[in-house]
Amino acid sequence: MKKIIYIAIVSIFSIQLISCNEDLLDIPNPNTLTQADFWQTEDDARLGVNAMYAMFYKPGLWTRWMYFRLDLTSDEGFSSSPWLELGDWTRFQYINYNFWEGNVETWRDTYKAVWRANQVLTYVPDIEFQNNDEKNRLLAEAHFLRALHYYYAALLWENIPIVLEPSQPEDLPEQRPLEEVWAQIEEDLLFALDHVPVSRDAANVGRPTKGAVNAFLARTYMQQHKWTEARQALDYFFIGEGAGRYSLVPNYQDNFTHLNENNSESVFEIQFSDVNRGGDGEVPNATMTTHRPQFFAPNGIGWSDGEARPWIVNAFKSERTVDDELDPRLRFTVFYPDLEADFGDKVYGRNWEWGSRVYFRKYARDYFRDNEDYFAQNNFRMVRFADILLLYAEVLNELGETSNAYQYVNTVRGRANLRSLEEAYPAIGNNQEQFLERLKMERALELFSESVRWADLKRWGDLSNPAQLAAVAQRDPDFNNFVIGRSIRLPIPQQEVENNPNLNQNPQY
Amino acid sequence: MSKKTTSIRELWRVPIYTLCIFMVCTSGARATSNYVESTFVSVSQLDIKVTGQVQDEFGEVIPGVTVLLKSTSIGVATDLDGNYTIDIPEGSADGILVFSFIGYVSQEVRIQNRSVVNVTLEEDVQAMDEVVVVGYGTQQKKDLTGAVAVVNTDELQKRQATTVGEALQGLTTGVNVRGGGRPGSEANVVIRGLNNFSNASPLYVIDGMITTANRDFNPNDIESIQILKDASAAAIYGSRAANGVIIITTKRGKDGPMYVEISSRNSIQTIPRYDLAGTDEFIRLNNMTYDNAGQPRQNLDPNIHTDWQDAAYMTGEMHDFNATVSGGSKNGSYLISGNYFGNKGTVIGTGFDRYSLRVNTQGSKGVFSIGENLAITLSHADEMSGNPIVDVTRMLPTIPVYDENNPGGYGYGSPSRGSTFGSNPVAIADLEDRQNRNMRIQGNIWSELKILPYLTYRLNLGLNVSHDNYRYLRKEGNWTQNQPYDPAIYDENRGEYMDGLVENTLSFDKVFGKHAVKLLAGQTYQRIQYAQIWGNKRNIPMNSLGNYYTVLDQGDTPQVGGFRQEAALLSYLSRLEYSYDDKYLINAVVRRDGTSRLSRANRWGTFPSFSGAWRISEEGFFSSDIVNDLKVRASYGRLGSSNIGYWDHLSLINVFPTIAMGMDQTVIPGATQVRLANENLRWEILEQQNYGLDAGFFEDKLTLSAEYFISQTNDVLTNMPIPRTTGHDGTDPFVNAASLRNRGFEFTATYRESAKPIKYYVTANVTTLRNEVLSLGYGRNDIYSGNTVTEIGQPIGMWFVLETDGIFQNMEEIQSHTNSAGQMIQPNAQPGDIRFKDHNDDGQITNEDKVVMGSPWADYEIGLNMGASYKGFDFSMQWFGSFGATVYSGYRSLVDRFDDNSNYRAGIKPWTPENPNTDVPRAIAASTLNSRGDTDRWLEDGSFLRLKLIRIGYTIPPAITQKIGFATAQVSVSGQNLLTFTKYSGLDPEFLNGNIFQRGFDNFAFPNLRMYTVGLQLGF
Repeated sequence: MKKIIYIAIVSIFSIQLISCNEDLLDIPNPNTLTQADFWQTEDDARLGVNAMYAMFYKPGLWTRWMYFRLDLTSDEGFSSSPWLELGDWTRFQYINYNFWEGNVETWRDTYKAVWRANQVLTYVPDIEFQNNDEKNRLLAEAHFLRALHYYYAALLWENIPIVLEPSQPEDLPEQRPLEEVWAQIEEDLLFALDHVPVSRDAANVGRPTKGAVNAFLARTYMQQHKWTEARQALDYFFIGEGAGRYSLVPNYQDNFTHLNENNSESVFEIQFSDVNRGGDGEVPNATMTTHRPQFFAPNGIGWSDGEARPWIVNAFKSERTVDDELDPRLRFTVFYPDLEADFGDKVYGRNWEWGSRVYFRKYARDYFRDNEDYFAQNNFRMVRFADILLLYAEVLNELGETSNAYQYVNTVRGRANLRSLEEAYPAIGNNQEQFLERLKMERALELFSESVRWADLKRWGDLSNPAQLAAVAQRDPDFNNFVIGRSIRLPIPQQEVENNPNLNQNPQY
Repeated sequence: MSKKTTSIRELWRVPIYTLCIFMVCTSGARATSNYVESTFVSVSQLDIKVTGQVQDEFGEVIPGVTVLLKSTSIGVATDLDGNYTIDIPEGSADGILVFSFIGYVSQEVRIQNRSVVNVTLEEDVQAMDEVVVVGYGTQQKKDLTGAVAVVNTDELQKRQATTVGEALQGLTTGVNVRGGGRPGSEANVVIRGLNNFSNASPLYVIDGMITTANRDFNPNDIESIQILKDASAAAIYGSRAANGVIIITTKRGKDGPMYVEISSRNSIQTIPRYDLAGTDEFIRLNNMTYDNAGQPRQNLDPNIHTDWQDAAYMTGEMHDFNATVSGGSKNGSYLISGNYFGNKGTVIGTGFDRYSLRVNTQGSKGVFSIGENLAITLSHADEMSGNPIVDVTRMLPTIPVYDENNPGGYGYGSPSRGSTFGSNPVAIADLEDRQNRNMRIQGNIWSELKILPYLTYRLNLGLNVSHDNYRYLRKEGNWTQNQPYDPAIYDENRGEYMDGLVENTLSFDKVFGKHAVKLLAGQTYQRIQYAQIWGNKRNIPMNSLGNYYTVLDQGDTPQVGGFRQEAALLSYLSRLEYSYDDKYLINAVVRRDGTSRLSRANRWGTFPSFSGAWRISEEGFFSSDIVNDLKVRASYGRLGSSNIGYWDHLSLINVFPTIAMGMDQTVIPGATQVRLANENLRWEILEQQNYGLDAGFFEDKLTLSAEYFISQTNDVLTNMPIPRTTGHDGTDPFVNAASLRNRGFEFTATYRESAKPIKYYVTANVTTLRNEVLSLGYGRNDIYSGNTVTEIGQPIGMWFVLETDGIFQNMEEIQSHTNSAGQMIQPNAQPGDIRFKDHNDDGQITNEDKVVMGSPWADYEIGLNMGASYKGFDFSMQWFGSFGATVYSGYRSLVDRFDDNSNYRAGIKPWTPENPNTDVPRAIAASTLNSRGDTDRWLEDGSFLRLKLIRIGYTIPPAITQKIGFATAQVSVSGQNLLTFTKYSGLDPEFLNGNIFQRGFDNFAFPNLRMYTVGLQLGF
């Protein structure tokens, strides 16, 4: 019996010996660092800031679906995709609010971007910097990008939760009315305005400048009809520090190709690049491209999930240039049946085979290839100076300075070799309403399918009263499905409403 | 600091072990020796000598068989060579000899004045004295106190399957198996319902090596399978056992000369098919949908008649060749087996080959013994690309398989043949080539030292190593309409998996008079490592024969990456088994586990269990001619689970973001947190009670076993959906959130007649299971996932959809479909559209109108297995049925819709004014309203009864086989999944959906195949 005890005790002690070695269970992750290890140095701060820009490359945002939400939903475009649900989400037929491609992915990616900004804004202030201005510049980038994503979310869903702290799994953020969302965007932009430079050196072109911030400030104010504040923001480009920094490029097409990016007309661009060939998730070699041309290219070349409403062709053809030619912008705006007859261009090298359909040409890569893929490298010109000129004209008109507004419209028309507005449309004179009506058309012609139309329609009130809505529906019959008071905003993803008691579905959904 | 506190915290273990020793010592004081002595004494003054040899079915001699002259006390036992000599009184020359031995069916043989009586005994698989492997030891089946199922290995091996799991369906209660069918695919096994949301499979223990089920294991090597179902039985495996344990013991050599067994099985397989519209019917219906939408018809080609199922499917083949050589002596044994398993899939371009070799040996000298089990496997799978099961329904009969005008030469959707975004399955099979190869070495070495006759120390070292190689070639060419251009791409990865196990156990086994005590104490440590590197290149060139160079030296745009994973588990275990007079049985287990997957503060968990049984039939007061065995059992156990990723408790930084910046668009790096983590994760705890009853009637001709269990899992580690406003990307973070309860009843009855020339048995089993969510994490009351809701007080994943109410026949019906306020509910509807119920009475159809419309869980499942044998013939049949589940037919939700260009169900008749009596709404290509997925229209009764196996075998009489040099020879013919009775519209009601919240959603799962097999088995 003694022997048993002896053996048992020895065994127990040998077991105990091993058990003391807790190290056997300490296995650090060899693949990457933990959140606690990060956010320590200036370099960490820069890496964190850079990661925010990668959100532009996600399908829910500017790689893919934003163009469906803004360009196809507006009266510029529509979808005749055989994937009916995809099409339904461009024509106000929202049935399944959890439709990933139409709604949830964009919602998710918006908040992914917000989380990245919130990480920077929370952790970077505690990092020691040699130069505090540098720290503020980085923080300003985060404020700017957070504002940018909230701006588009406000356009789409209006009443959204505002998240300003790094996320935790248990967060159930509270929904805010649209006014509060605009106020938050203004606050972020005003911080950014104080700390971003007027211009960027060659290595940092693509990060926001005072011009970019002022542009979004102006857009934000204008959506709220805060014309005075909007004017102040836009004054930057004409009488402020930004005066003379921006000009229209002579060749209109240069605004859409990868050949003359970040040019003098560019106020803010998304820097797309086809260097990486990986997937679009959080993976190595993730793509930094736009899928827009693959989705919008004509049937047989791309998915042809989105196409243009033909009214734009007639709108271009209703006015000829000083030299009695077609408006040159028509050529680079859409593929349409007479494109070859009018300008001599084929479609990706092919003869016209698409009946009376009209397809978007901006950002299409037919100028150097005969097919498309998911790796389009053309920078997206989120704000270009032509837009600023027309916005300024709109603000001045709203403030009763109609006559002062003409010159800015004429700059834009001038590049297209059109006569001045006074000459071409003398009846407008200083009639504020008529000027605005004409300005709406000028914006359509210059900025067609550049993702500004949805904000324009909302701002102009065209979607708020039946008479104006009927006019929109003339151009785009999808608006026959539009219900005033409901369709002006998207339904919030149903799973978000269900999983967050602090969030209510948007009205009438 | 932590070191010191840790040590102190660990000290509590000492008392536990001391307690064990204390018990040993106190009871040991009454120790008496325990040895078997022969009870048979031969008597002299006799006349006749009868001799003979006793063998088993495989021709192996059986020593120690009791040979008894019936109705007398005259008896002997066979010697080491199985021979016996018995002297019987002259008057008994025509008496009856009774041959009996543990584990074999007793046999009575009339002497008929012969002097030589040779006998072959059959193994008694159902014997109550059966030894059951229970983890770190064995128990006699009669002594079991927990819920342990012993799988009938004979029944299992009648089925032709790739993996063990696949073959288990219906053979025992409480085990649900789904999936398989695809070459090389692994089935999903769930024991006693879902104890958590993480879809975890049971733990597999193969010859003491703790592992998972995988396709690299040769089912022919199985000697026995035990399934530990309740917490008390599984507790010895502690933290890994919460989903049950499947213990597999492989064959080993038996005493005797070398025995060779060769078997071959060849099968053909067919895949079930849909009944889809042909070209004429498709064109008629498709035109109708466009006409109704007021759109121009598609320009469909009526001259093309493609049957996509013919194009994508073929007759599969399965070949299984197995050779086993074994033998042994008292001091050692060996077994070598080799196996080739080949499966040419039923889907073109798929297949699986496996070569495996096993060497099991053991030897002993005195108190020391040592052994090993080692299996080496080479596997190669040609994996399926895309999902042909759905593509055959999405492709249109008007599209040709081949179309030379398209890049790659395959036909797919186009304006001229009909638009569809389905993929050409023939094109995918060719253009996307996925190969998966691996070499796995799995096995263990053990050694045992019998320190004292009743005290054994055992060291077990286990190893599981796999070298994996995955190769993917994407050839240039298209398989779907408007596909983006991709060049030829080659992607390859190599992974290395290594899993090592060290176990030290000390066991004590002694009988003190009426007290039998077994004690076990041990320590185990397991470490798992995986590392992978991957790389790919684009623009892979072709050689002159048109084959691509599939090496990474070729091509351009290189990308590489790699990662490592590692985890460890350190455990201490102890078990006490005590029985008094074979009547009262007690079993107690304590296990303590530490895992690297949880933070230091939370990594240790202690998991005790207790069980007891009372063998009423052993009591003096119990006497019955009918009931020969009666036992009641009860148990309680607590198990932990940390079935999560390697570092799920850490918030990690993702370093993959890169951005282009600057005039030169230089690519620069970024880093940020992308996924959220709950750093405070802790053990998930399962508590289970089990009540069982075992009874044997008429000398075990009829046996019954019933179990009732209640299990509750708290702190379930689950990926609770979190709001997307967090910005979290990827699988939702694990959180100790919910509580779940499973309650179930399991009943098995077997009737066995083995004394008559026609021997037969029938086993029926029934399982019922109800799961209920008791609480959910983050203070939530429900989780929505797909078309299901999981609510407190209800089972997981109940169907949550809009309720349809027939079809509007006319405008009047549309106008009169109003809410209580008189508001028209569907003002835009047209005759032929679906009428929905406005449950919240707000005058419109929204998500608020959804209601719970059924459960995806079966009310009960049954297995019915029967067999009969007569002379050399044997026949068996295995049925499996599942009743009461409501399932969602993904198939019908696609082929019964008209807004999406897919093929239609043959014979479908949508509503028209001329065809009003239908439940199919009008066909219109303009709105998804009629075909919306979130309605009860696609819910169906998923009940079914299926003939899993029917088999006839013939054993050639030994007289003939021995002439040609074989000891045994058997031929068999069998069929699997030949008959299914069901109302379900999809391919297979026995489908698997891996998302546990959507378990009843048949999303074009790969079906079970029909299989016909011819088998031959030879032994010599």
